[in-house]
Amino acid sequence: MVETNLQQHINQQLFEKLELAYFCVDQSMRVIDASENLESYGYTGVITGANADDCVDFMFGLDAHTELDLPLVESPSGKKVSVSLLPGSTFLTVLISNASVQADQRQLLQQKANENELLVEQQIILMKQLETASEMLEQKNVQLEEASRLQTSFLSGVSHEFRTPLTSIMGYTNLVKQALESASDESSENDKVQHLRAVQRSSKHLLSLVENLLDHGKLDSDEIVVRPKATDLAEIFNDVKLLLKPLSDAKHIDFFVELDFEQPMMVVTDDSRLRQCLINLLGNAIKFTDSGSVRLTAVLSNDFLKVEVSDTGPGISEENLAKIKLPFWQAADTGKTGTGLGLTITERIIELMGGELEISSVLSSGTQVNFEIPAPQLNATLEPIAAVAPSFKQAKILLAEDDYDIADLIVMMLSERGYQVSHVDNGELALNALESQEFDFVLMDIHMPIMTGYDVLAELQAKGNTTPVAIMSASTVESDRAKAEQLGCFDYLIKPVEIDDVIRVMNLALEQ
Amino acid sequence: MLKKKICMVGDFSVGKTSLTQKFVNNVFSEKYLTTIGVKIDTAFINDTKLIVWDVAGRDSLSPINASYLVGANGIVLVCDGTRQSTVRDIKDIWQVVKERIGEVPTVVALNKADLEDWHIDAEQTAYFEEQGWQTFETSAKEGQNVKALFEALVSEIG
Repeated sequence: MVETNLQQHINQQLFEKLELAYFCVDQSMRVIDASENLESYGYTGVITGANADDCVDFMFGLDAHTELDLPLVESPSGKKVSVSLLPGSTFLTVLISNASVQADQRQLLQQKANENELLVEQQIILMKQLETASEMLEQKNVQLEEASRLQTSFLSGVSHEFRTPLTSIMGYTNLVKQALESASDESSENDKVQHLRAVQRSSKHLLSLVENLLDHGKLDSDEIVVRPKATDLAEIFNDVKLLLKPLSDAKHIDFFVELDFEQPMMVVTDDSRLRQCLINLLGNAIKFTDSGSVRLTAVLSNDFLKVEVSDTGPGISEENLAKIKLPFWQAADTGKTGTGLGLTITERIIELMGGELEISSVLSSGTQVNFEIPAPQLNATLEPIAAVAPSFKQAKILLAEDDYDIADLIVMMLSERGYQVSHVDNGELALNALESQEFDFVLMDIHMPIMTGYDVLAELQAKGNTTPVAIMSASTVESDRAKAEQLGCFDYLIKPVEIDDVIRVMNLALEQ
Repeated sequence: MLKKKICMVGDFSVGKTSLTQKFVNNVFSEKYLTTIGVKIDTAFINDTKLIVWDVAGRDSLSPINASYLVGANGIVLVCDGTRQSTVRDIKDIWQVVKERIGEVPTVVALNKADLEDWHIDAEQTAYFEEQGWQTFETSAKEGQNVKALFEALVSEIG
């Protein structure tokens, strides 16, 4: 009896210390016994006869035969409890004890551990991002170094390319000057003409270099424009031949030009763009060929012009072939200089002309460059300029140009052909002249002091003055041309202007 | 009334508690409070009472306590779309589930879909497809697909 009381006392103490609560269920999970303190954990309604899973959520899905420990279960009271399921032969006892202290301690540790692990994970991610950023920076650095190398090589190329024709211009001009100044001029008139032709060729070469440089700036903005017009195809090819022959002669390589069409041959194409492309392609071929030949063949068939430039140069590796059309790109191992722009621009121009530039090459054998562009054939031929409309020679022309060298040159050339030319050196004087006198045609610069060419055009438009005005401008920017055209200019000529072009435009205007 | 026991399992800090709380109480907290042990909640989908066991996440020191899974009718595997490791870990977690209670209906929540540094692509979730699990991009914060996730599981359980 004493022992039983003692046991009961001990049990009571343990139950109270551990805050033990319990309930028992039979095989069908009905409650058969429950301690009163279950409610302190928020388990209410645990009464004899009740279904265990109706009053205690964690009992759902469990059975009376499986021994199970469920540590740290959050009870309805919010306290964490440890649950032990102890199956017996006829019933299951479910013991619930308070685990709040253990849970709180665990919470602190686990929270810190998890936060630390998250930090480590984030650090790893950041490190990876840093590594990627660092790799990208390194790549950028390499690209910048390459860009810097290309820029240096470009500048040195530009310098070389410009100096070559300039040397020729200066040398031949000097020769002619000396011949004219010398009392005992031994050189023949023919020599002087040859020298001046060399100057002219080199000037055109220089102009094509400038055009390449300017066009490069327009590549990204899609500002390169082609302007097809009636032109003599044969004249273009012959000009190019004359221009480049001295270069091939200087290298002792053969230069063949084979044209499979009649001369003259009138077609519709942009002569200056085609000339620019041919100079670029042939210039490259001659530059890179040290022995053998360069061959230009042109075939006109069914209104399409097929051109091939082939050389017996060193050829281009497959790897370089992939890069060759990139701006500024130049093979590092050739020892040749250039701007690295010619091919990029030529490809774009050919594209705009409705063709495609194809390059094939075999190392040590040579390179072939082909393109085919529409060139609709015309039946008419261009009249020689000198024979055009003699009556127009009486026409009164006003020239507005602030550069006296250019003005003198144009006045001289037009006067030689019998035209009456008055010159003014700014826009305001041009406007005054047009108000006080009658002119048949105006040739005008854009950038002039006091009043620009645009201002004059605007004033003339406002006053209803219909005198045809041709603009001469050094700007190849398409928006400048558009602005002048909007203001009613008759034509827009790009400097340096050929006098023949001026006369052609002028006659066209006077005819109208 | 039908009752179903559902267990939310996955790595720590993937948003199991957030998804449960959004589903059960329509609340969301930005604060991260790690779950200790298990928290049991109830919710209804139509006439089915769901007893949702939000089980403490697996971490490098402690595996999932498989005792909690006993009697589960369905599993929601949760991973964090901004932490690829939590997607990879699903394979191991599934092994624990399978060993203890066998193959039960399962759906996957790719959680934290509202965050910008989402790193999950089809290659990483190919395993889920192989298993035939419906996968949901969820956001406990915005509630995206939360209800659909549980509805799909209930439908799978049948």
